[in-house]
Amino acid sequence: MIDVFPPAFFFLIAAGIVAFLPQGIFRSALLLLTPIVAGLYIYDLPHGVGGEVELAGLTLEMMRVDKLSVIFGLVFCLASFLGNLYALHVKDSIQQIAALAYVGSAIGAVFAGDLVTLFIYWEGTAITSVFLIWARRTEGAYHTGMRYLIMQIASGVILLGGTVLLYRETGSIAFDKMTLGSLATWLIFLAFGIKCAFPLLHNWVQDAYPAATITGTVILSSFTTKLAVYALARSFPSTEILIYIGAVMTLFPIFFAVIENDLRRVLAYSLNNQLGFMVVGIGIGTELALNGTAAHAFAHILYKSLLFMSVGAVLFRTGTAKGSELGGLYKTMPLTMIFCVVGAASISAFPLFSGFVTKSLILSDAAHEGYYIVWGILLFASAGVFHHSGIKIPYFAFFAHDSGLRPKEAPTHMLFAMGITAFLCIAIGVYPDPLYALLPYDVNYVPYTTTHVITQLQLLMFSALAFTVLMRTGIYPPELRSVNLDTDVIYRRFLPRIITKLRNIISGMWLFGTWFASRKVAKLVKTLHNSHGPEGRMARVWPTGAMVLWIAIILSATLIVNFI
Amino acid sequence: MASNKKDDPEKLPLLGRKLLWLDNMKNVERIVYGLYFTCFVLFIADFFYKKKTYMDIEDVPGFYAIYGFAMCALLVICARGMRLFLMRDETYYAPNDVESEEHPEANLSKETIND
Repeated sequence: MIDVFPPAFFFLIAAGIVAFLPQGIFRSALLLLTPIVAGLYIYDLPHGVGGEVELAGLTLEMMRVDKLSVIFGLVFCLASFLGNLYALHVKDSIQQIAALAYVGSAIGAVFAGDLVTLFIYWEGTAITSVFLIWARRTEGAYHTGMRYLIMQIASGVILLGGTVLLYRETGSIAFDKMTLGSLATWLIFLAFGIKCAFPLLHNWVQDAYPAATITGTVILSSFTTKLAVYALARSFPSTEILIYIGAVMTLFPIFFAVIENDLRRVLAYSLNNQLGFMVVGIGIGTELALNGTAAHAFAHILYKSLLFMSVGAVLFRTGTAKGSELGGLYKTMPLTMIFCVVGAASISAFPLFSGFVTKSLILSDAAHEGYYIVWGILLFASAGVFHHSGIKIPYFAFFAHDSGLRPKEAPTHMLFAMGITAFLCIAIGVYPDPLYALLPYDVNYVPYTTTHVITQLQLLMFSALAFTVLMRTGIYPPELRSVNLDTDVIYRRFLPRIITKLRNIISGMWLFGTWFASRKVAKLVKTLHNSHGPEGRMARVWPTGAMVLWIAIILSATLIVNFI
Repeated sequence: MASNKKDDPEKLPLLGRKLLWLDNMKNVERIVYGLYFTCFVLFIADFFYKKKTYMDIEDVPGFYAIYGFAMCALLVICARGMRLFLMRDETYYAPNDVESEEHPEANLSKETIND
């Protein structure tokens, strides 16, 4: 039992203070220092379980500190620092408070020892993060935020349902390894799956992330989905279905990424693809694969932030992140371009960049464990991710045709944020040992072997060759102003249309029914009026005199009967 | 990568000036030939070392090269085909979507090198 202060509270308290602190150097300092202090604190935490709180007869464990929770806690602090540094120019209190509270919730969830604590923070991430989308303050962002919120809250409600059922079944609310089988575990699995953007549940990522503010997207991209990866790694390691779900996740987004015009949405698709690798690792569930998942999540948060930052910087200076509108920026934004290329090389897993030393843990274990088809898919997805994130993003933003735009280089604080992130991406790639030391299990893996380096370079350079050949032959699809239908068309277009049609049919039937009934009633009233009204036939044969006569007759009959 | 208009090198950042050689199509061609050469070297490299493999298919010389090239070509051709029935106008979801909106100026700082 350990008695420690939950690190999530650093962020939540800081969010409270920011609300009362005027904009300026003190607020900026608080935004930057909070993640640093929290990160150092997490690094030094003793391992164990603690922070017990009694709630409605349940014992909640606010803190479970082990290597898995610590590595996610640390990278969340790092991402928060980099995100806040990148957003230093933002003077919008709502975004600043939301960003801190969001990170606090994510870190709280990572250290949660039970499902009820997890649920509270799980919903916390949903409610706080939506403000980063709404902060764009447009009608489109408002609607997108609502869709995002519905998905996120639904995930939380399903998690709560699963928790309640699990408590009824087993009497336990432990947030620990589970086996899929009962309704309770399936519900919890589904709740994690929504946040992890499983296939068909994924659309909220591509819908919401490009709709947030420039800095909001950088922050959003780091936490929610990786929290879900952590939750899956904690609860469902070695669950075979995850291998296949993950494989599908790596595969289908790359097709959409190739034809997508909005570069931030391209990155959202590639985020989905990268999550797939992590999910496969969890599904395989060996020590090597779980190490791979944790390491890849760590590296991914950094290079994905870097890519979102560089595209964000372009958006900040030009007002657009669409491939069709951009191009030729390498001369005026050379540093941003270089940082973007570093991010692209890292996500593509080039030797000496971070993705190379983390993704290979998962891929080699898939082959080692005999999942050959999955391995083939992951290899395809690796080539694909280089194709659309590694080449397409820098190429269409900074090279390709000259758009005529001559934006200034990104502001200094953005360059610093990107520079530090780029440095970390390279540092991890060149010297992975410190990252490997943080992983949940001992690492006995050497990424830099002749075979690995040469085969990886072959895969990537020949993908680049394919891109060049297709580009020069005009087969590569040009960037066009457009939207592409994804499965979200079902709930954004088809279902509303079906509901509208049904509503029209039902209201038509109702109108016809009421019209028909009122006609019948009117007819009945008219008939009665004709027969029984003042001028009616029946009224004519029932004069008052006749009634008096009948009463007299009945009376006499009664008297006679009585007399007899 | 060729530029439509001549840039005044004085206005470019130092690094940007160094990169101006990319404006020359000849240099772009050189990069492309460099890529062809790199690919060639990487392909034949397979014959000169002992590959450590898990699967038989990996032992095929240049397997990763062929797989990378073929799958990427397949990816692009399939994706191009998908456009035929998935692509819609930018305003398809408007006004419930940000796609057709301009990014709000309040979030931007649209400075150019001429400012």
